[in-house]
Amino acid sequence: MTHDVTITVDTTALRHNVRVLRAAVAPAAVMAVVKANAYGHGAVECARVFVDAGVDWLGVADLTEAVALRRAGVEAPVLAWLHAPGEDFVEAAALGITPAVSSVDQLEAAVAAGVRAVHLAIDTGLSRNGAVESEWPELFDRAAAHAATVPVEGLMSHVSNASAEEDGLQMARFARASRMLDERGVRPPLLHLAASAAALDYAGARATMVRFGLASYGLSPHPDRTSADLGLRPAMTLTAPVTTVKRIPAGEGVSYGYLFRPERDTSIAIVPVGYADGVDRAASERASVTIGRRTYRVRGRIAMNALVIDVGDDPVEVGDEVVLFGDPALGRRSAADWAEAIDGITYEVVACLAAGLDRRYTA
Amino acid sequence: MSAATPLRRATVDLAAYRANLESLIARLDPVEILAIVKADAYSHGADVLVPEAVAAGIRWFGTVELAPALRLRRLGIGGDASFFAWQLSPSDDLGAAVDLAVDLGISTLDQLEAVADAARARAGVALVHLTIDTGLHREGCLPSDWPAFVTRAVALRDEGVVRLRGIFSHVSETSEADDQAAARVFERAVADAEALGATVEKRHMSSSSAALEHPERRFDMVRMGSNGLGIPVTEGVTAADRGLRPVLTLSASVVKVKRVAAGTGVSYDHTFRAPTDTTIALVPLGYADGVSRRAQGAVHVVVAGAPRPIVGRVAMDQFLVDMGDDPVEVGDEAVLFGPGDRGEMTIGEWADATGTIPEEVACRVGARVPRVYLGGRP
Repeated sequence: MTHDVTITVDTTALRHNVRVLRAAVAPAAVMAVVKANAYGHGAVECARVFVDAGVDWLGVADLTEAVALRRAGVEAPVLAWLHAPGEDFVEAAALGITPAVSSVDQLEAAVAAGVRAVHLAIDTGLSRNGAVESEWPELFDRAAAHAATVPVEGLMSHVSNASAEEDGLQMARFARASRMLDERGVRPPLLHLAASAAALDYAGARATMVRFGLASYGLSPHPDRTSADLGLRPAMTLTAPVTTVKRIPAGEGVSYGYLFRPERDTSIAIVPVGYADGVDRAASERASVTIGRRTYRVRGRIAMNALVIDVGDDPVEVGDEVVLFGDPALGRRSAADWAEAIDGITYEVVACLAAGLDRRYTA
Repeated sequence: MSAATPLRRATVDLAAYRANLESLIARLDPVEILAIVKADAYSHGADVLVPEAVAAGIRWFGTVELAPALRLRRLGIGGDASFFAWQLSPSDDLGAAVDLAVDLGISTLDQLEAVADAARARAGVALVHLTIDTGLHREGCLPSDWPAFVTRAVALRDEGVVRLRGIFSHVSETSEADDQAAARVFERAVADAEALGATVEKRHMSSSSAALEHPERRFDMVRMGSNGLGIPVTEGVTAADRGLRPVLTLSASVVKVKRVAAGTGVSYDHTFRAPTDTTIALVPLGYADGVSRRAQGAVHVVVAGAPRPIVGRVAMDQFLVDMGDDPVEVGDEAVLFGPGDRGEMTIGEWADATGTIPEEVACRVGARVPRVYLGGRP
């Protein structure tokens, strides 16, 4: 029923990645981050695979995402850290979802709702969601006061990846916050500030838990290191079939804006995937795809539901499978290649893929 | 959630959508308007927009692909309006298209035979628009193949398995000269088809802005996508210039406010450092929600009544704005783009600033952002 654009997620690769990452950070616990529809891979299905593969926790940005996991029957511990103003946490409490709170107001609401536990989210230098240092004493005091009824199960922060020096300062601030809690008799078992990049870079950042988002899906958080360099396997392959092949005389423009005018007679193939599917229009004329073992450049402007590739004189036929990206070890372009083509990051290449696309899971 | 304020929302002004369509219908009368609702009506929600468009007087809809047209038909959305799909895939259920009377844009002899076979198999009639490639080189029959293509279509019509509903083309909108050339190719294709006995109900090649600006290329029907949504795509033309109102507003609630000291780095890589002590506000929309990373330093977002810059990297789920010394509270609304009434950018301005087109900005508003509909039919 869908328009044939398919995201195939290799669940064996997901399991492999969990195994590799767990070994890399042992004995730290591992949280798989499945926010933003599991970085485009499909939240519920990936959550199930990750839990089955032995991750200790699941992480999402907001409670709506956490509730969707619970409604789908995912029972593993779930942490959510980005909350709407005035959130009352009643549903979170009812569904056993753990909120990370970053203000006294959030803490009090969570306690009043009777959540099973809280994590405290602190800002150590990213200047985003966490409580700033001046707010720590009051937040920690209140958390200590409630700890008998609502345990402080975790202390979390997020590293800015600005520089080794900055990241080191953040780790030091995190340690200071941990000591401040300790002085109040609060010793959260889960101390976590590192996501994929920091966890792989700094042993010291691993604390007692690591949050793996991008790396869980087999993608490298570092532009200068590939998935293979990290021992990871990209789980996602994005494909669509050729719907039209046509012969174009030299000099004729192709697609909107006629950005591409072939210098000699050539064949073009139309692939029914476009920016409405989450393929960034900035990849026009820059990204490449593969059919079988051959690589073809995206030509002309990527349209809402279609892109054009120049297949030269190759025998490409309607129905041939076009791979936009997948595991480069299999000869495909990688999500990192697409990130480079849009002057962006691998994260956005996968996380922006439309929720409505057909996702298939292979073992 | 039970929260007092939603994290994020994409507000769709249905009254504005109807008014835009009514205004376009009046301007183009007696030319028929086919409302494009591809990509879930540019992510505005086709299930909701189609009935509104019908109420405004629209009788034709275009979905690009067949599957969404079949879906709308099966749900009965749009009643007896016509649905047109032209980007067909080998796996498409052409039998269903015949059963549900979906109009099909047909580009090749193979496709023509396939729909004829489907119609024959169920003793039905396929509704066909013959597609001529006038230079865009996506779908469409090349002019050199056109006579044989039309001849076969006429034979299938005479057999009773095909009804020739239209001749259609896409134009590239590259330059006036290219589009004029395309129009000549189109006119010749229509004349050739008629000479071969193919008389059709709807000849259509122009879409949106070209249809408004070039009356001579309207023929019987024009396809309207973004204009109906209050997004004029012609460079230098605003929605207001066209008497149209943007339908979509993207906004969110401030979820965190913090005072930072001069020199403090903000968000990933610390690409922004506060030059002086300042207040920053966290807005829970990120690139997974359709806020391009290219928005950093390029747009303004209206928070607490004034435009504010995005500072630091746009992350997957959130970005930060610099409030200076102005007061802001958790729960205050941050408006990214909308009709502009509150000083926010329009979607066209947002697209220009982030290096793309407004259609992409609309389409990429993600599934995590709930659509909130206002001004539905009374």
